[in-house]
Amino acid sequence: MITGAALAPSPPLLCGQLTGRTPVLPELRAACAEVIARLLGEDPEVVVVVGPAAETGAWDPASGLNVAAFAPPVTGTGTRLLPLALGLGAMLLDQAGYAGPRRLQAIGQDEPASACAELGADLADSSARTALLVMGDGSARRSLKAPGYLDPRAEGFDAGVERALRAGDAGALLRLDQALARDLMAGGRPAWQVLAGALPAAAPGTEVLYRDDPFGVAYLVAYLRPR
Amino acid sequence: MSDPGQSGGSGLAERRESGPQRVLRLGRHAFEPERLLVMAIVNRTPDSFYQPGVTWDPAVALERVHVVVEEGADIVDIGGVPARPGDEVPVSEEIRRTVPFIAAVREAHPELVISTDTWRHEVAREACAAGADLINDTWGGWDVRLTEVAAEFGAGLVCSHAGGLPPRTRPFRVAYDDVVDDVRSATLALAARAVLAGVDPARIVIDPAHDFGKNTWHSLEITRRLAELADTGWPVLVSLSNKDFVGETLDAPLDERLAGTLATTAVSAWLGARVFRVHQVRETRHVLSMVSAIRGDIPPARAVRGLA
Repeated sequence: MITGAALAPSPPLLCGQLTGRTPVLPELRAACAEVIARLLGEDPEVVVVVGPAAETGAWDPASGLNVAAFAPPVTGTGTRLLPLALGLGAMLLDQAGYAGPRRLQAIGQDEPASACAELGADLADSSARTALLVMGDGSARRSLKAPGYLDPRAEGFDAGVERALRAGDAGALLRLDQALARDLMAGGRPAWQVLAGALPAAAPGTEVLYRDDPFGVAYLVAYLRPR
Repeated sequence: MSDPGQSGGSGLAERRESGPQRVLRLGRHAFEPERLLVMAIVNRTPDSFYQPGVTWDPAVALERVHVVVEEGADIVDIGGVPARPGDEVPVSEEIRRTVPFIAAVREAHPELVISTDTWRHEVAREACAAGADLINDTWGGWDVRLTEVAAEFGAGLVCSHAGGLPPRTRPFRVAYDDVVDDVRSATLALAARAVLAGVDPARIVIDPAHDFGKNTWHSLEITRRLAELADTGWPVLVSLSNKDFVGETLDAPLDERLAGTLATTAVSAWLGARVFRVHQVRETRHVLSMVSAIRGDIPPARAVRGLA
């Protein structure tokens, strides 16, 4: 059973060591800290970080973000090859001072909805009080200056994702178009579908703490609490 | 056409130890290793990132070539497609924008080295036929037929590291175990491939391509460790001018990046870069001459103070 699910985006710029001397998106960072506080406030037995990666697999819970891969020669103790989403999730938990049990679960970016949902159901069943930290982003093609340039379909796609999350609608999340999500560089698709598989039958209550695309990538911070 | 030369396949590009660099041949010139060369950017586009459209009018563009030659440019780099994403520019349009202009520049400046800034072999073929001496491919060999064209025309080739990005795309969360090693192995592989295809090794240049498939930290790191690229023995070209890594380092908008660019130029020259692709030719020429004099490669222009 999940005690709750926090959604957070996974851009490298979430990490203060990577953004230089000027504070970048303090409001996003604050929203992430807030959502983690909500998640941990439910006193879970375990926190599972779920994040998209090249391949599905569990990572050593002690792994950390490999900062040096983005910012040589910043030295750090990061784990080589740890998927970015998991590294950032681990970072957020560390920043909150969380010392309890955690798992780092990568979900392959090409996994179909059924596999994602099955994994989500397994995670929800794995303990009586599981908290999910679901890392992932919407489209990176939302503007002319976006990393993926502008694709006019991006806005509609991301709006559909947000509607589904606000309604706690697992079915709608599982029906997201996988090929379209990939075309739109919406990396969070498999992670949201893991979340969908973990949700209880009764739709949870959803609170959105942040939604914006300051750099042309859709970032969403939200908290889902089962009723 | 020159013989690809020495024996060996993959060993060919690796054989040089650090030490004396070789002569760089471009067009009919043979540039000694101490010569620091300025490549002036003349874009035949309406929408490049810096001063968009400034040389879109062919007459203005030709005048710009005259000016940069006066200011000390050794090479003029003529491009018809911006590096950033945007409306597609078909091959025919890219040719229309650049090839007649290359012919005009060749006629006006018979000795000037002309480079064609393109990644596409069809464009490179027409450009070389019109008089281009060097193919400047910033996208790292995306078109596998580009080396054929260089070999066919006896032209030179810039072998760049673009981090695997398709042309006209932006880096998205790029990460490297070691960006300099990645640059080194990618450019050496391209150079080796070019030699095997029949490109004259004396006409090959490597370019780490700052900001291409790299973030600001990566671009600073390759600058910091540029000597490792120079130590390969291949001449190194750097294209730093007004780039975002300068802007992000200094929090400087596009039109305030000259000092940062020149600082990077001086450091890169000191660490062994030989060709500098720039917008501001006169200032760059001054920086490079200063570095050469500090090195002892050239005397001051005129020394009388304290000597009278």
